[in-house]
Amino acid sequence: MSDTKEKKYLRMTFNERVQHFCLLTSFITLVITGFALKFPEALWVTWIRAVFGENFFELRGTVHRIAAVIMVSVSVYHLLYVIFTERGRQLITDLWFKKTDVMDLFHTFSYYVGRSSTRPKFSRFSYIEKAEYWAVVWGTIVMGGTGTMLWFENTFLPVLSNSGMDIATAIHYYEAILASLAIVVWHFYFVIYNPDVYPMNKAWYTGYLTREEMELEHPLELEETESQDEQPEIADEKEVTEFPNPKEIETQPPVPENPSENKTDKTLPQPDFPNEVKTDVKDSERDDILRQNGDNTVNSEKENKKN
Amino acid sequence: MKKGLLRNTYIGSLAAVIIVLISVAAKGYKIFPAKGNDVCFACHEDPDLTMEHDGRKISLFVNSSNYKKSVHGGNDCTDCHLNYNPDDLPHTKTKAPVNCKDCHDDAKIKVLETGLHSKINCSDCHSKHEIKPAKEFSKEQTDACLKCHTSRNVQAYRTSIHSQKKEGCESCHTGGHNAKSIPKNEVAETCGKCHGQHEKSFNNSIHETVLKGGNNNAPTCTDCHGSHRILTSKMSIESESCLRCHLNSKLFPGEGKGSAKFVADYKTSIHASIQKNGKEAAGCSDCHGNHMIQNPGDPEASTTRTRLPETCGKCHKDIVDKFLNSAHGKALLNRSVAAPTCVDCHSEHSIKSVRSSDEFSKINQVDLCLKCHQEGKLPHKNYKGEEVLISDYKSSYHYKALQEGKLNAATCSDCHGSHEMKKFDDPTSRIYKKNIAQTCGQTNCHTKQLNEYTGSVHEVSISTKTNSDAPTCTNCHGNHQILKKDEQTNLISNSKGLVQLCSSCHASVELVRKYNLPTGRADTYLGSFHGLAVRGGSKLAANCESCHGNHNIRPSNDPLSTINKKNLPETCGKCHPGAAETLFNTPIHVTNQQSQSPLLYWITRFYIYLILIIIGGMVLHNAVDFTKKLKKKSVPASGEKA
Repeated sequence: MSDTKEKKYLRMTFNERVQHFCLLTSFITLVITGFALKFPEALWVTWIRAVFGENFFELRGTVHRIAAVIMVSVSVYHLLYVIFTERGRQLITDLWFKKTDVMDLFHTFSYYVGRSSTRPKFSRFSYIEKAEYWAVVWGTIVMGGTGTMLWFENTFLPVLSNSGMDIATAIHYYEAILASLAIVVWHFYFVIYNPDVYPMNKAWYTGYLTREEMELEHPLELEETESQDEQPEIADEKEVTEFPNPKEIETQPPVPENPSENKTDKTLPQPDFPNEVKTDVKDSERDDILRQNGDNTVNSEKENKKN
Repeated sequence: MKKGLLRNTYIGSLAAVIIVLISVAAKGYKIFPAKGNDVCFACHEDPDLTMEHDGRKISLFVNSSNYKKSVHGGNDCTDCHLNYNPDDLPHTKTKAPVNCKDCHDDAKIKVLETGLHSKINCSDCHSKHEIKPAKEFSKEQTDACLKCHTSRNVQAYRTSIHSQKKEGCESCHTGGHNAKSIPKNEVAETCGKCHGQHEKSFNNSIHETVLKGGNNNAPTCTDCHGSHRILTSKMSIESESCLRCHLNSKLFPGEGKGSAKFVADYKTSIHASIQKNGKEAAGCSDCHGNHMIQNPGDPEASTTRTRLPETCGKCHKDIVDKFLNSAHGKALLNRSVAAPTCVDCHSEHSIKSVRSSDEFSKINQVDLCLKCHQEGKLPHKNYKGEEVLISDYKSSYHYKALQEGKLNAATCSDCHGSHEMKKFDDPTSRIYKKNIAQTCGQTNCHTKQLNEYTGSVHEVSISTKTNSDAPTCTNCHGNHQILKKDEQTNLISNSKGLVQLCSSCHASVELVRKYNLPTGRADTYLGSFHGLAVRGGSKLAANCESCHGNHNIRPSNDPLSTINKKNLPETCGKCHPGAAETLFNTPIHVTNQQSQSPLLYWITRFYIYLILIIIGGMVLHNAVDFTKKLKKKSVPASGEKA
């Protein structure tokens, strides 16, 4: 493929990435510390207990609560963010379910079963991501609510009676299973195991999508940005430069890492680090390439060539 | 003719007179001895009459009145003192000694010649001039003997019981002229003439056996009782007499049983040191018998193993009665080889006070019992029929406390009894299941716990049912290896162990069915937050005991129960201060959600289906997406990685 530098498309601002990071760390912590309670004899729990010793149970409870506080705080922050920032409000607007989402789902399935030859074009957020987002909203509310009841059990016990506490416990447990499975099955699939993005959609720490990714995942958004002009991205670029990642900017040479595909015999595609914030990719070139390759991703083409 | 007759008569009478006179003259002193003796007494009545002989003054005094009273009082002095002429001084030149045999020459006297007394004079016993009739003399014979036999030993006869009972020397030594010494092997027979019963006993004794075997060291009657100074049997003669020989290490060498050393231990015993009525509390003969002392190996001996309880029971009746009813006693009477008898614990001679001696101190008692009751020797079973390792006691807190000097801690006998220890299956045993709580809760021990336990559901079950499986103290705390509650290896020291303990019955299908116990106690607990926390290692979360109590566990309909609805706020309130106003509208152990907590049931159902549908849909969606994307990628080339 071409060795041209790729243009980056802002997906998550630093602020959003920090929110996501807080959410993901607290979520994973909550999952681990939560299920460690429910399945105390599980092998992985015994390993953790072996590391932390006999006070593990108390530590587990404390960490679970700290993580819960972080998650709820991030949620509250996010709430404020979507209320008080322009970008936040836009986020909700873009995430709001529309009729097209139903159509998209329908079309996607007809594409999957071969009835339709093209995939529906997604905008900034596909129905997949919208479901993901609102599931998180719902889950946070449910888990936060029931979790609070269980945390302050002495306050809620007289109010809810013992059966109420039993129910809160049950909901907290089943919702946890639902959320964890949803993250693994839904989110992890689309950002990791999805052959289009494998090994990973790196936007959660770079903040950017590549042109190819945009083309594959959010063609409508791409079209929209391109139809307006390049200006919005310059604005975003400025925003990003306020939170420069030294590693990304300085340590990596601006040269793409796989210019000579014959040199490497690695079977897995190399992580494609977006090295440059500033970009001088020629859009026209990229478009040409994309057009030539049709639906194939840039990554898969590289891979094919290697193999 | 008349003149001749008259003359004849005269001659005849004259002749008769002459004959009479001659005959009277011939008879001389004999007819009128007093007259002759008076001649003698004229001088010899003087107490001061003496003569010199070989430079010594010899009294020649004769008490005339005594002489006249004596059996020879009618005889002339010269009947014995032959050839004495009162007119001459000295009366005789030949000095012929008085020879009693001149008159008393019969068989009785002849015996003397071969007897012990052949060399002594008759007068030595009978005296010279105050000779008494045989009957009278025999009464005083002993005095006569003791005149010569002046050794202390013989003189002590006067204080003896024989003297008091008027048994003289002749009773043993054959009186009269036949007196003899008694050789050792005839002593018993001699004494046995009067003390036949004792002789019979003695003839069955080991002493007699050894004696007959030719060992003259063995004692006969006199060796213990003394020969002459025989006192009443009530006086202490025994231990000193026995020990005279039995402490002699030449006679009884070595260190084993029967040795002098072995016997010497007696001196250290409480039997020897405590005095009762001026003698040892128990002397040798109290246990070994007196005359019929036998080897302990002899099954008839008073000190043989099986007869020891009887022997000791002469004094220690109460204790021996208990012992004979004990497992030990019964085994002993059944001739069990392993069964202990008195001496196995108390030892043979060095018997010590149980209260004051170190040997029976609570802590040493353990080793005493463990001599027999240890692994590989005497396995015992508890009431479930499980084998119990008694030496486990040494790792118990009871033992540890004893080691720390806390003398209230229980040792073997505190629970099992000392002499009355019985097997667990004996209803009168202190460790019979129904009695265990009383044993543990005895005064000075766990009375508080007993009070709590009494009336509990477990206690009621045990006391009202036969063969109840309900737990008593030892079911939860163990029997020998009872640990302190906070000891780590103690099952009840931690929640996990405790739950496991309660579950062993309450999660047992067999027991739950047998006693119609509520089901699902363990499962529901283990799935609850409390249970999960405990499983996860929490030390704070509630375990069975936290809510149900420990000793005082009662059914929930009992107003005293900690889980009675009235008491729940208080019970739960121990950890959850807010629980006081809590409405307990569903059971704590929800075993059937649908009937007991329908809302919980439906929410759970809802979530399960929700998860199945949502996650199922996601999986389906992604599976299709995945295959589609792979297919697309595999079109241009072959290799695929995903």
